Amino acid sequence: MNGRASAVSLLDRLAGRVDGAEVYEVHSHTSPVRFAFSALQSVRSVETAGRSLRVIKEGRLGFSATTDLTDTETVVRNALDSAQFGDPAPFRFPSPQPSPPVLRFDRQVQDLDESALIALGEEIIAEILAFDPHLQVDVGIDRAVVDLHLVNSSGLEFRDWQTSFAISVSCARVSEGDILILYGTVSSCRKSDVDGLALARRLVERLRWATRTAVVRSQAMPVVFHLDGTLALLLPLMSGLNGREVYLKASPLAQRLGQEAFDPRLTLIDDGRLDFALRSAAYDDEGTPTARKVLIDKGIARQFIYDLKTAGQAGAQPTGNGFRAGGFRGLPDVTPSTWLVLPGNDSLQRILDGLDEALLVEAAIGVGQGNVRAGEFSTNVGAGFLVRRGEVVGRVKNTMIAGNAYELLKERLLALGDQAEWVHGSLLVPAVAVDGVGVASQG
Amino acid sequence: MRDRVLRALERKGIDYADIRIEHEWRTQVSYEGKDLQNVEASDEVGGIVRCLVDGGWGMVVFNSLDDLEQRVEEACRIARLVSTRVSERVELAPVEPVQGELRVALERDPRTVPLREKQELLRRYNDILLRYSDKIVTTRAFYRDSFKEVTFANSEGAFIVQEQPDVILALFPTARDGDTNIQTAMEHDGWAAGFEKVEGQDSRAETAAQRALALLEAKPVRGGVYTVVLDPKLAGVFIHEAFGHLCEADFLFKNHRLREVLQLGRRFGVEELNVIEDGYLPGMRGNFKYDDEGTPRRSVYLVQDGVLRGFLHSRETAAYMGAEPTGNARAISYRFPPIVRMRNTYIDNGRSSLDQMLRGIDHGIYACSAFGGQTELEQFTFSAAYGYEIVDGRIGGMLRDVVLTGNIFETMKNIDAIGNDREIFGGAGGCGKEGQSPLAVTFGSPHIRIRNLTVGGRTQ
Repeated sequence: MNGRASAVSLLDRLAGRVDGAEVYEVHSHTSPVRFAFSALQSVRSVETAGRSLRVIKEGRLGFSATTDLTDTETVVRNALDSAQFGDPAPFRFPSPQPSPPVLRFDRQVQDLDESALIALGEEIIAEILAFDPHLQVDVGIDRAVVDLHLVNSSGLEFRDWQTSFAISVSCARVSEGDILILYGTVSSCRKSDVDGLALARRLVERLRWATRTAVVRSQAMPVVFHLDGTLALLLPLMSGLNGREVYLKASPLAQRLGQEAFDPRLTLIDDGRLDFALRSAAYDDEGTPTARKVLIDKGIARQFIYDLKTAGQAGAQPTGNGFRAGGFRGLPDVTPSTWLVLPGNDSLQRILDGLDEALLVEAAIGVGQGNVRAGEFSTNVGAGFLVRRGEVVGRVKNTMIAGNAYELLKERLLALGDQAEWVHGSLLVPAVAVDGVGVASQG
Repeated sequence: MRDRVLRALERKGIDYADIRIEHEWRTQVSYEGKDLQNVEASDEVGGIVRCLVDGGWGMVVFNSLDDLEQRVEEACRIARLVSTRVSERVELAPVEPVQGELRVALERDPRTVPLREKQELLRRYNDILLRYSDKIVTTRAFYRDSFKEVTFANSEGAFIVQEQPDVILALFPTARDGDTNIQTAMEHDGWAAGFEKVEGQDSRAETAAQRALALLEAKPVRGGVYTVVLDPKLAGVFIHEAFGHLCEADFLFKNHRLREVLQLGRRFGVEELNVIEDGYLPGMRGNFKYDDEGTPRRSVYLVQDGVLRGFLHSRETAAYMGAEPTGNARAISYRFPPIVRMRNTYIDNGRSSLDQMLRGIDHGIYACSAFGGQTELEQFTFSAAYGYEIVDGRIGGMLRDVVLTGNIFETMKNIDAIGNDREIFGGAGGCGKEGQSPLAVTFGSPHIRIRNLTVGGRTQ
C-alpha cells in the first residue's frame, strides 16, 4: 500500500473534530486507443488515484481534493480551513440505506487488452473504407475499470467496481468546396452492448444519403430529431428538470409540477437503476440509493431531480442524482441518470412518409450555446437530410435550426418514433418529430 | 527530482521519450444566487510519459511518482506494440533541447492570499449582481486560481521547469420576467497573473447585471441572411473557431485532399486581412515560454495580406509536412499528450472605423461578445451574447439569441471591412479539442464586417 492511508483511517482522524465527514476515493485504469487518418495513432495507459474529503464543521461545509494518498495532513487541513467560512450545510451525510445491486461490471471489458482494442478499431476502419477509400476515419476506443470507494461518518460504506467501454467514430469526406463530417458513438458498461461494426454500417448509410446535397429554403417547417439531434430538445429539459435550476428560480417548470406542461404523448423517465447503463449505480456518489423516477408523465411534470445539498436547500427529498462529473476532483452535483423517453407508435420511416417535406436532423453543431435555460436552441445542422414523403433528397449544408423546446414539445409535437435508441450512453430516446422549427439557410 | 527524471529517461533502443510532471495547487470559490456553493483548496500531482519506439507512440499517465523507470518501461512496451500496427512511422522535427527554470514573480501570489479574502471578494461581486434589481433571480459567480509547476524533460536532454499561474473570474447574472423570459448575461476574464487582477472589478459586475436586464427587453433575432458587424470579442471567437482550428496541422497533415484545399499561397480574403497566431504574450492567459514538447512558442502568420501563409505545428506534424515546429503542442494537463492547439489568435488591425463600417448598411446586425462557438472544419457556428439591429447605418434596438453560422471559406471572403481598434481577450472559459477542455487561450480582433452571413432564428 506504499504508506497509503485508507479512506476509513482518514475518517478516524476526523472523529470528534467535525459534525460529519465523507471520503470519496477513486482508483481507475483506462486505456484510450486513438486512430487518426484511418490508421493507429497511439495507445495510452491512464492510471488514476485520488480522493476528496468533504466535511461539515459547526454546520459549515468544507472541501478538498488530492492525489497524495500518503499525506492525510494537508487534505484535512485544507478541508477544515475552507469549512471555517464555508456554506451552511443543509443536510447530513446519509446513514446506510438498503439498495438492491445494479449490474455495472463486465469481466469481458476488464479482460480486453490493447491488442484486442487495436483490432477492433482496425475492423471499423476497414468497414468504412470499403465504402470509400478516400474517407478520413478517426476512431477512439476507451475501456475503463473503476474502483470507487465512498465512506462517511454516518456509517455508510459503499465500494463498487465498474467497467465502461466506448467507441466513437468520425469520418470526414473532403473535396474542393465541400467537407462533410459524420460521427457516432456507442458506449455501455458491457462489451456486448457496444457494436462498433453496426455503428460503422450506420455511418456508411448516412454517407450514402449525403452523396447529394439538397437545398432547403428558409421557412418554419417540420423537423425530425433523431439520435444526437434529440439533444437540441432534451438539453433544455435537463436544465428545467434539474432541482438546482428549480431552486434558483431559473427553470420555466419551477411552478408547473402537476400541470400539463408537455404534449400528453411525452413521458420521460430518469432511471438510475438500468443494468449496465453508464449512468447507473446502486447508490449515487453521496450514498443516496438511486431510483427510477417518472419526471414527465403523459405530458404532466411530476418531479425534479436532486442531490443532497440542493434537496436540503429546496426542502425536497434527495433523489439519488448526486454524481461527481469531475471524479474525485469535484463536488457532487445534480446529474441526470439515464433518461428514457418512451417511444410512440410509428416507425421513423412512417413518420417521414407522412411529411411532405421535413428535415431529419441527426447531429447539430453548437448545441448548448443558446439560451438553454429558457428552452431556446439555435444550432447549425451538422448531419441533416432533406426528406420528401419519406425519400431522402440529400444532405443540407449551411443551415441553422432554431426553436424553443418547451413550446415545440407542448404545442407542435407531431410524433414519437417507435424505437428508442441510445445517445452517448446516457439517453434512450426515439425520433422526435415536431412542426414549426425555424430553418435559416443560404440555399 | 531532476536526477530521477533524467535517470528514468536513459534508455536504449528507443527513438524518443519524454516525461511531463505537474504539481498543481488550486483554490476556488463559487456562488449560486445567495448561496455559497463551494470553497475549496486542493492539490494534485501527476505525470505522463510518452515513448516513441520504431515510429509508434506509447503513453502512460499516473498520479504516483514512485518508480518513474517502471512507467517509462511500460510506455515503451505499449509503443513497441503500437509500432507493429502503424502504417507510417512517426518522426519528430528537430528542436534544440532547452534547459531552464522559469519562475514567476506575482504581485499577489494566490497561494498566499487567504481563502477568506477570495470568498469575500467574490461575495462582493455576487452581491452587486443580486442587489441590482428584483428581476435578477439568480446568479453564478466563480473564482478560481491554479498554480502549476510543470517539469518537462526528454531523452534529447531538454529539462524545463515552468511555473504557470492562472486566475479567472466569471460573473453570470440571470434575469427573469414571467415564465419563459429568462436571460443570462456574462462577464468573465482570466490572466496568467496573480490575485491582483481579479480585484477592483465592481464595474464588470454592474455591466453584467445591467445587460441581463436589457436582454429581457431585447427582441429575438429574425433568422435570415444579413450583413453583420462583429465586435472585437466575437470576431476573435470567430477567427479562433472558424479559421484557427483549420490551421492546426494535426487536422490535415495526413489528409491529402484537405491539404489541397488548404494550400499555402491560396487567397482566403481581402488584401487587408492578416491573421496572426502569437506565440507568447506574457501575463495573458495560457501564456508560457515553451510548449509541452519543450519547443519555444513562436508567432505564425496564418494569413498575410489575405493569403494563407502558415500552419500550427507540433514536432510530429512539422516533420511530416517539412515545416518548423511552432510551439503549438499543448496539453490541458498531465492526463493528456500534447496536441496542436492555439495560443493567441487574432485578426490584425485594418483601416476602417466602426462608423465607416456601419455606413451603407440598410438593415444588418451588430453582434457582440460570445457565448461560445463550435466548428467542424468548414462549418462553424458561434453565438453572440447580445446584439443590436443596424438600421440605415445606425445601431438600433437590442437583439438576443443571435447565432451565426456559415462556411468558413465563403465567410472569410465575405469579410469586406476590418477595423483599426484591435483588442485581445483571455476569457474564463477555454478551448476544447479531442476531449481536452478547457485550454486557456486568448483571441482578438478589431471590429470586422461580414456580408451574407446566415443568422439562425425562430422566425424568418
